Amino acid sequence: MSKNKTIAFTVKILFWIAIIVFFIWIFKNDLLIHVYQEPSRFLNLLTQHIIIVLISGSIAILTAIPLGIILTRTKFRKWEWLLVNIVNLGQTIPSLAVLALIMGILGIGMKSAIVGLFLFSLLPILQNTIAGIHSVDEKTLDAAKGMGLTPLQILWKVELPQASYSIFAGIRTSLVINVGTAALAYLIGGGGLGVWIFTGIQLFDNAFLLSGAVPLTILALLVDYLCKGLEFLIVPKGIRLAKQSVTNNN
Amino acid sequence: MIKFQNVSKTYNGNVKAVKDVSFNIEAGEFVILIGPSGCGKTSLLRMVNQLETITEGDIVLNGKSVRDFNKIEMRRKMGYVIQSNGLFPNMTIEDNVMIVPNLLGWDKVKKRQRYQYLMDLIGLNPDEYKKRYPHQLSGGQQQRIGVARALAADPPIMLMDEPFGALDPIIRTRLQDEFLQIQREVQKTILFVSHDIDEAVKMGDKIALMRHGELIQYDTPANILLHPRHEFVSEFVGEDRVLKSMSLYTVKDLLESITLDTNVSSTQQTVHEQTTLRNALSVLLSTNSQKIKVVDIEERPIGTLTIDQIEQFLQLKAGQKGA
Ligand SMILES: Nc1ncnc2c1ncn2[C@@H]1O[C@H](COP(=O)(O)OP(=O)(O)OP(=O)(O)O)[C@@H](O)[C@H]1O
Ligand SMILES: [Mg+2]
Repeated sequence: MSKNKTIAFTVKILFWIAIIVFFIWIFKNDLLIHVYQEPSRFLNLLTQHIIIVLISGSIAILTAIPLGIILTRTKFRKWEWLLVNIVNLGQTIPSLAVLALIMGILGIGMKSAIVGLFLFSLLPILQNTIAGIHSVDEKTLDAAKGMGLTPLQILWKVELPQASYSIFAGIRTSLVINVGTAALAYLIGGGGLGVWIFTGIQLFDNAFLLSGAVPLTILALLVDYLCKGLEFLIVPKGIRLAKQSVTNNN
Repeated sequence: MIKFQNVSKTYNGNVKAVKDVSFNIEAGEFVILIGPSGCGKTSLLRMVNQLETITEGDIVLNGKSVRDFNKIEMRRKMGYVIQSNGLFPNMTIEDNVMIVPNLLGWDKVKKRQRYQYLMDLIGLNPDEYKKRYPHQLSGGQQQRIGVARALAADPPIMLMDEPFGALDPIIRTRLQDEFLQIQREVQKTILFVSHDIDEAVKMGDKIALMRHGELIQYDTPANILLHPRHEFVSEFVGEDRVLKSMSLYTVKDLLESITLDTNVSSTQQTVHEQTTLRNALSVLLSTNSQKIKVVDIEERPIGTLTIDQIEQFLQLKAGQKGA
């Protein structure tokens, strides 16, 4: 235990040293120059990026969770396999191909980017919602039924609270990937921080590349922390504590 | 009140868990369902609150088939203790215990009082456990919370699947006594699954003994012990069945049919008239003299009791009722 802790601590220290060295290098060479030389352009790209992520992400959450709930009802269980496989298939097709396809249908622009990212974000949330609800302790369902809770009360008071941890993990994964993938929006004219990143790649210009990539990374980390915070607020305390006591015992 | 009419349960078309079981439970009766593991006790219990469908036959509750009740409403009037507690991990102990009162919309004061009462009943400190979560409790404590949860809305019918299974003997005995005490006061109709014949004899007004899905004998504890109607019954209750039957009777019961010698000397060992015959015999065997003194509640001597008299009484009982 304490050995593991020491290793984890050392890795963390090395990681932060690397980050600091990286930033010293960036500032020495003025590689974030575009961020403060063209602040309005930067803000514009950043806002586009955030809007793409926010809209596609929230639609994905609002679709995937209800879909996962419906698919885990006894009546619809037989469709679960089919739908998960369809969404899975969508996931194996390369993102670029999907984007190209959507562009073919919806044309160039932010709308296509949002639709594409919505599709990518769907699967992790759907999978985790289904897995979370499946992992609910059968005995608690039995007890709830036996005490006369209605199916809706069982869903709301027993199933979702127990599945919430898993669902949140899905949302987090999905959104963090979404932030990164949103850089591809540039390719179909959707704007966002991808504009600078791809310009940087095309021109072999590190300043453009990093002025896009560094804020993108920070955005992804921010989203990750935000989700963790929300998770803390929304996942019931009992579930959180139980999870902790399980991990501590291992 | 609850009538089982030729009830059968078949799982997946081939597992016959319950076969043609018929018996009646009267209102206010405490019935123990007992039998070896896998004999269909849980299945039978779960058909009452319709957690399992009835394959054949019917269960009639107050003259109406359980199939015709609104399931949700019916279940709220039946306390249900699941075999393995099934507490909700996302809720505090208080919320777990008070789930049905919460659904029924009780007011705050009534809920608080009820929670205090229930926790006192099961021997857990109300305030200490209030904000804890199920995983922070031991198995036995969780099981007790399960019992409190089922009792919370004071349902007239209780279905209890081995509620005292995971408890140590002391707590178990205490809860059994407490439960008998409440039962004397409130007279619920109880269907109680148990593995333990001693528990069954102690708690039940009637015992339903099952094997391989069939009901072998449905009778009073005394008749199950003294008049087994099947080889399996005597086998199941054990060779010490006569000894066990002695815990059903007190010295007072014996006094009704046997007159004691009133010539008491002060040196003899003393037992109260409420003592079970089993304990009286134990006292007799542990003393050197052939007799013990029986006294009433106010410690006034009644007479002397001998082993022969106990034997005489048991033979009397074995001759009665049965057949
Ligand atoms: N859902 C189910 N599907 C199929 N078979 C089942 C199901 N539930 C129980 N059974 C079978 O039915 C039989 C009776 O089971 P039941 O749980 O009623 O026994 P029990 O008397 O409660 O046993 P125990 O004392 O071990 O709890 C067993 O053979 C069991 O395997
Ligand atoms: Mg059972």
